[in-house]
Amino acid sequence: MSNVARQEDPASVERIEHDEFDPVGTLALIAFYFAVLVLLWLFTYFVEFLGNVPTPVVVA
Amino acid sequence: MRLRTSPAKLLVLVALCLVVLVELRTALAFVGVSLSIGATVAVGVAAIAALLLWAVRPAGSGE
Amino acid sequence: MPNGATFADAYPTQARHIRAAFWASFLSLGVGAFFGLIQALHRTDILRVIESQTYYTVLTAHGVFLVISFTIFFLVGVFQWAVTDSLERPPVDMRFTWGWYGLMSLGASLTAFAILAGFTDSIDVRANVLFTFYAPLQAHPLFYVGLVVFVVGTWLAGADWFRSWLAWKGDNPGERIPLPTFMVLTTMIMWYISSIGVAVAILAFILPWSLELTGSLNPTLTRTLFWYFGHPVVYFWLLPAYLLWYILLPKLAGGRLFSDPLARVVFILFVLLSTPVGIHHQYLDPGISEGFKFIAMTNTMFLLLPSLLTAFTIIASMEHGARQRGGEGYFNWLTALPWRDPAFTGMALAGMVFAFGGFTGIVNAGMNINYLVHNTLWVPGHIHTQVGTAAALTFMAGAYWLVPQLTGNRLVGRGLALVQVVLWFVGIVFMTNSMYRGGLVGIPRRTAEPQYEGFEYEVAAGSVGELNAQLAIGGTILFVSAMLFLALMVLTAFNGGTEPIDDGSIPPALSGPEDSPAVLDNLKLWVAIAAVLVVIAYSFPLASIVSRGGLFGPDIGPIPVAIDAASTVARTALEAVSAVVR
Repeated sequence: MSNVARQEDPASVERIEHDEFDPVGTLALIAFYFAVLVLLWLFTYFVEFLGNVPTPVVVA
Repeated sequence: MRLRTSPAKLLVLVALCLVVLVELRTALAFVGVSLSIGATVAVGVAAIAALLLWAVRPAGSGE
Repeated sequence: MPNGATFADAYPTQARHIRAAFWASFLSLGVGAFFGLIQALHRTDILRVIESQTYYTVLTAHGVFLVISFTIFFLVGVFQWAVTDSLERPPVDMRFTWGWYGLMSLGASLTAFAILAGFTDSIDVRANVLFTFYAPLQAHPLFYVGLVVFVVGTWLAGADWFRSWLAWKGDNPGERIPLPTFMVLTTMIMWYISSIGVAVAILAFILPWSLELTGSLNPTLTRTLFWYFGHPVVYFWLLPAYLLWYILLPKLAGGRLFSDPLARVVFILFVLLSTPVGIHHQYLDPGISEGFKFIAMTNTMFLLLPSLLTAFTIIASMEHGARQRGGEGYFNWLTALPWRDPAFTGMALAGMVFAFGGFTGIVNAGMNINYLVHNTLWVPGHIHTQVGTAAALTFMAGAYWLVPQLTGNRLVGRGLALVQVVLWFVGIVFMTNSMYRGGLVGIPRRTAEPQYEGFEYEVAAGSVGELNAQLAIGGTILFVSAMLFLALMVLTAFNGGTEPIDDGSIPPALSGPEDSPAVLDNLKLWVAIAAVLVVIAYSFPLASIVSRGGLFGPDIGPIPVAIDAASTVARTALEAVSAVVR
């Protein structure tokens, strides 16, 4: 990569190839995301089912 | 003035604070804690002020 | 491309063409954003500068200018850049390339005229039919003609890119399709398959009906054909954003794309799955049986897969960049990312909003929960986090990198640009949070005055007044952000005598195309499978709709949307709907 590209930001300090790269940070972020999704599902379950009284039975 | 973080990261952090604030109010209401607008704004101002203070405090003094 | 040269140096003619597409896009963004501001203030009853009848003209314009004109003009520009840059060759015939651009502009102008004429009584042309143009709402024929011409323009654009690829293939036999071109070609295949639906709806039914050649149509049929196209069109907005995330974001983060094969798989999954799901927009439509809706729901849940794959690949690519820049730890690497670069930050924030907005899509897609939110303000909340941020914010962020490459000028106001993308992020969170919460308590969408006498919404936290204020604040922030973006783009265009701070090079993927099976590049195979899936998903529902209501329907007359006698219109609409249901 050209150094002109990064003159204002710190340049890459090292070059990491495919086999040396272990994306643990990605795993951590995605685990966090899935945890949030589970909470959102619980929240939706609350809104959809627990938050409402049963549909009134209307006998005609 | 030396910041502990870059102005750009600080800006993004403040934005994330606002997001947490807006969403937290809704989430808290579902567990029975209802914050008024005033209280929400107060919490927000306090949180962002704390963040800014942390950022401008000279690096190394509190570590 | 020679190292260090911008795209504008290497391909001056093509750069001019792409700039023209971007300007058409940005013009639409400006107009559409202005209408958005009017709506946000009107429906919350904070400032009503228009009559409530005019709201629907504004709403139609907001929808069409933003999700048709802004997005599609931008994406054809991005696609042209991607194809030219990755094949390293200009289009075969530049006159053809200008030709499709001309057709798209002509179509967009006709449709825009038909909509905007609705603001004045002195021209007898109206198209207040919203972006979905559901019959029996009827617009002036110019509206439909414009849409058709526009879509034909995009078809020819796709043909142009296929032609470039075939010419390249002749010179490079046996080589893998470069990833950006692969993405463009697969997206266009999806677009061809899906836009047939809207073409049939307009050319066979709605246009003849609006020209009074046919006296009636079957609204369930035209709606179903619309949604046959209406769901894939959201991927037509989204996949260019994916292209920028896969191609540009890893580079901006200081790394390389994690996996080229995964990227190819994702785009093929979209070709296969994005069309046979449209009926999930019609869960509440009478006249389509539950079984077909259930199949559409199942397909939709499969469609989550490519987006989850994308989340993994993109985050891993960003992490690679952060690690190369010295980032460490499970979460600390995030601080090593180049947050001061507006192109990077805008795309990262857009991706974040997309990940959480995607959840609201899962809610929409589930049949039972959909009933809870259908036709409420929740749905505009969803669309604003997805196309309004995942696509729009990515496009704006992408423009901060692309426009300097296309003009050879340095971006003006890099700091302000960062403020702009962050403002958009904050504005969208404020506005959509209010929309989601309002939707959950049943506040309707597409309504100028969603307040009623003698009825109170039971808001879970706060009050309707607070929700309205939050929506209006969010909408205003978004408008300010959009204007800031446009100002920076204009200034950059005139910033002659400078150079972009970045060279245009794109680093190769960590795991390159040599690691992916060659069958992924067999486009004919994927087209065939996609066609079979479409036939399975749609042949029975369409046959059933036609056999119940007839091709031209149970005598449905038009409702021209001139709202001087709103009550008459409402009554006619009710009669029409009850006729369909019967």
